[in-house]
Amino acid sequence: MKRRTFVTGVGASGVAGVAGCLTRDVEDDADGNETDDREPADPDLEGELTVATYTSMVDGDNPAGPWLKDAFEAEYPDATLTWTVPSQGLNHYISRERQSADFDADVYLGLNVDDLVRIDDTLGGGGLFRDLNVDRIDRSGRIRDGLDMGDPHGRVLAYDTGYISLVYDETVVDAPETLEALTEPAYEDALLAQNAQSSDPGRAFLLWTIDAYGEDGYLDYWRSLEDNGIRVLDDWTESYYGSYMNENRPMVVSYSTDQVYASAEGYDMSRHQIAFPDDQGYANPEGMGIFERASELDLAYAFLDFALSSEAQGVIAQRNVQFPAVTSEHVDLDEEFDQYAHEPPEAVTVGYETLRGKLDGWVEDWAREFAGQ
Amino acid sequence: MGRSKAGEWGPRVRRRAAAARGWVERHALSLLGLVTATVLAIMLYLPVGLVFADAVLDRGALTLSAFVDVLTDPFYVGVLADIFAEPLAVRSHIEGVASWLAAVSVSISLEAPIPGLEVPIPWPRVDAPAVRTGLFGFTAYQALCSTVASVVLGLPGAYVLANYEFRGRKTLRSLTIVPFVLPGIMVAVGFYAMFGRSGTLNGLLGLVGIGPYSFIEGNPLAVVIVAHAFYNAPLVARITVAAWESIDARTVETARSLGASPRRAFRDVVVPQLLPAVLTGALLTFIFTFMTFPIVLALGGLQLATVEVWIYDRVRRLAYGEAATLAVLETLLSLGLTYAYLRYESAQAGLARTASSPTRTPLFPNLRTALSPRRVAIGIYGLVALVVFVGPIASLLVGSVTDGDGLTLRHFAFLLERQFEGASYQTLPAVAVRNSLVFGVATLLIAVPMGVVISTVTVRAGRGGKLVDTLAMAPLAVSGVVFGIGLLQGLVFGIPLPGGWRFQVTGAVAIAAAHAVAAYPFVTRNVSPLLASLDPALVESARALGAPRYRALVDVELPLVASGIVAGAAFAFAISIGEFSSTVILAGGNDTYTMPVAVERYLGRRSGPAIAMGTILLFVTAASFVVVDRVGGRFER
Repeated sequence: MKRRTFVTGVGASGVAGVAGCLTRDVEDDADGNETDDREPADPDLEGELTVATYTSMVDGDNPAGPWLKDAFEAEYPDATLTWTVPSQGLNHYISRERQSADFDADVYLGLNVDDLVRIDDTLGGGGLFRDLNVDRIDRSGRIRDGLDMGDPHGRVLAYDTGYISLVYDETVVDAPETLEALTEPAYEDALLAQNAQSSDPGRAFLLWTIDAYGEDGYLDYWRSLEDNGIRVLDDWTESYYGSYMNENRPMVVSYSTDQVYASAEGYDMSRHQIAFPDDQGYANPEGMGIFERASELDLAYAFLDFALSSEAQGVIAQRNVQFPAVTSEHVDLDEEFDQYAHEPPEAVTVGYETLRGKLDGWVEDWAREFAGQ
Repeated sequence: MGRSKAGEWGPRVRRRAAAARGWVERHALSLLGLVTATVLAIMLYLPVGLVFADAVLDRGALTLSAFVDVLTDPFYVGVLADIFAEPLAVRSHIEGVASWLAAVSVSISLEAPIPGLEVPIPWPRVDAPAVRTGLFGFTAYQALCSTVASVVLGLPGAYVLANYEFRGRKTLRSLTIVPFVLPGIMVAVGFYAMFGRSGTLNGLLGLVGIGPYSFIEGNPLAVVIVAHAFYNAPLVARITVAAWESIDARTVETARSLGASPRRAFRDVVVPQLLPAVLTGALLTFIFTFMTFPIVLALGGLQLATVEVWIYDRVRRLAYGEAATLAVLETLLSLGLTYAYLRYESAQAGLARTASSPTRTPLFPNLRTALSPRRVAIGIYGLVALVVFVGPIASLLVGSVTDGDGLTLRHFAFLLERQFEGASYQTLPAVAVRNSLVFGVATLLIAVPMGVVISTVTVRAGRGGKLVDTLAMAPLAVSGVVFGIGLLQGLVFGIPLPGGWRFQVTGAVAIAAAHAVAAYPFVTRNVSPLLASLDPALVESARALGAPRYRALVDVELPLVASGIVAGAAFAFAISIGEFSSTVILAGGNDTYTMPVAVERYLGRRSGPAIAMGTILLFVTAASFVVVDRVGGRFER
């Protein structure tokens, strides 16, 4: 089948005279790929390190990316850091791995736990990224407890974390004390959430309810939310900029750092109150890992260590508006950040072991509950 | 080479050149057809075929089990699941239908059908036991509603644009397709800004002391349908105007001189000539809204999810087999509908027609005419159009120059700063504008000849031609996300060949080709009905006088269908500007991003920069459409 299609393709390309469509893989460094992760006596800190990440790291408003590049290159003068932003995110690399297509990145910045689950559900356990040798990352010991992403293969280190919470308009509703309260008449037609199929905060909120009500009880809880008029929009952008900011609803699933933006934009703070039902927030640590097929291994390890330095942690936290991954003695943050970025008393997170093999099913059952009525 | 020698060779070279030109002219259509087929094979059938193969292949073995799973799952097909599960149990199915019919009752009651307005109106109320329609059923239902809404909103616009003269008519006609290019996220944000509780409309209503109403919360489905009409009513209007302008005014005059009343002449002469165009618009709208994805979830939420939402989810989870299964079913539905329409369209052909433009009457010549019922109705339509089309766009424009504190230009300052100080790996606004325009023009240059060639080949080819024509419509019928995955797997990653070679197609040429593939069906659908209705004798006499087929096409047929070609060209340009998924997939390097891609990339925790970029997208495309129409208009009569 495939052979026939490519023969057609090649024949047709000849007819059209399309030039430059045929490339040849140069894959003769088979032994070169098997570099080991032991600390070398003389690390090779020269060359071009390619770091893949998401758009807001480089293209947002005052993003951390350009600073990281400049500071990293200042620290390693023989190195160049190149940012790449694959349009499909991590799927880009999973697909490339599956198709054995060529690979262009060394480090991925911006992995979360469900990415790891998706990698392993698709490629088999422990795929795509290397088991990190944390001894080569001196500053890895600085990472706070609870930001361990629970990967049995030790492929990721957290570099920051955000908390999913509720943002509400205090002139319309009171802060809900518990998740259960959201099913009561006081919150009828009040809450906006996001589609867990496609949205990070949406999935985080779903997992939070699974943590609270168990995999046997969460659908019942969502049925009561549905009866109470919850709206599930596609993405954070539509729910927040679209619906919430145009006052269609008084409460939205969002980030606990919302006030940092609200204050910078001059919004009315009464519409940007943060609620932690059950004194909880769902922690979504963002991790970084080194690709199995990385070509600049030493520089990649140097970058991971660099990202955990006090200066980098401060810049990532403040420009990304997320919380640092390291303990407080290793990072200095502006007072304003401390004032407006709220941390929940208790952080909830569902780890790798629990999600593996189950995440898709949970999300599917949940989505079927709402759609196709 | 010496000058004298060249002089000596001159006549022979000229003769040879003339012979070569003759050969090219004789074979021009075949050559263009071959190029078209090649582009389609590489950019459409190869990538889509690779993905669709996932639907029927399970570890290399052919299987239909994935289809059986979907067709017997009530979640997808509702009550039809029983029928697919046991197609032979006819008796029990009939009993099921009968008992359902017996339980249906109809009564009249007072209801408030207009979302947000509590105006009681007598409304026929049908009480029927709920029928589970499933995801496919709901998708078709909302597509049907959206199509009706688009036709209802689009036709009056076409009527006004084709029959009345007023200042700015041509510009307005050019601008009709502007909504078509807006990225879904912009439309969603624009709709919220217009119809939200603190949106523009409630602000205006508040001035006269009513409201605020929760339009979107009150009836999300209605708002989604209006948003679909926002996209597609301009499409219906545009295609209809093109057909209306090519109606021979003399046929109407003849009917009138034979004693027909204006109404009768309209019904018997104008309507039959417009119907193919209106139905083309309706068909395209149905297909588009059947495969709608961002708008339903953004405005309506998960309760209004469509099949495409599920396909996108499968693709995100890398479950390509399931995605392909759903996509194949979706495509079969769309293509079946297209085939049925094309059979109808060909049955309509045969009205001899030469362009002699209809006369337009002034819209508001004086105050008395302006108060006539017809003019008042046009005025009311204008008001509705202002709310539905201008409102969301204007609200976006306002959003680009305001923030929490009031008026500001800092969102545009961000774009300027990014342009002049941005690093190479960042998205620069001017580069995005340039790329969009270059791809748009390239698409136009490829898609218009492709579309015309396919029209010419299929118009008089009978039933086989209809089949080819249907297959040629496949770019519209294939799910956008599936097309994207096919391009990625087939062309970007490349197909491994023996000897370590890979067949890869990426970069700017591939993007232009992919855009052209998505765009040419619009050229075809705008040109075919007009071409089919030309008198075949025109071509035959040109050919009898010695013109090759290509000459007859260029000199005789094309000038007569110019309005369709210009409309198709504008659509080709619009498709290219608005295209998103295959652009980002084929972009490969970092420097081939377009304006919609830039909008998406600037969208972060602050919406200002993205909306400012969207405003630039609006202005650049609006200006482009005026240029396309003005340049194209020279070829029209």
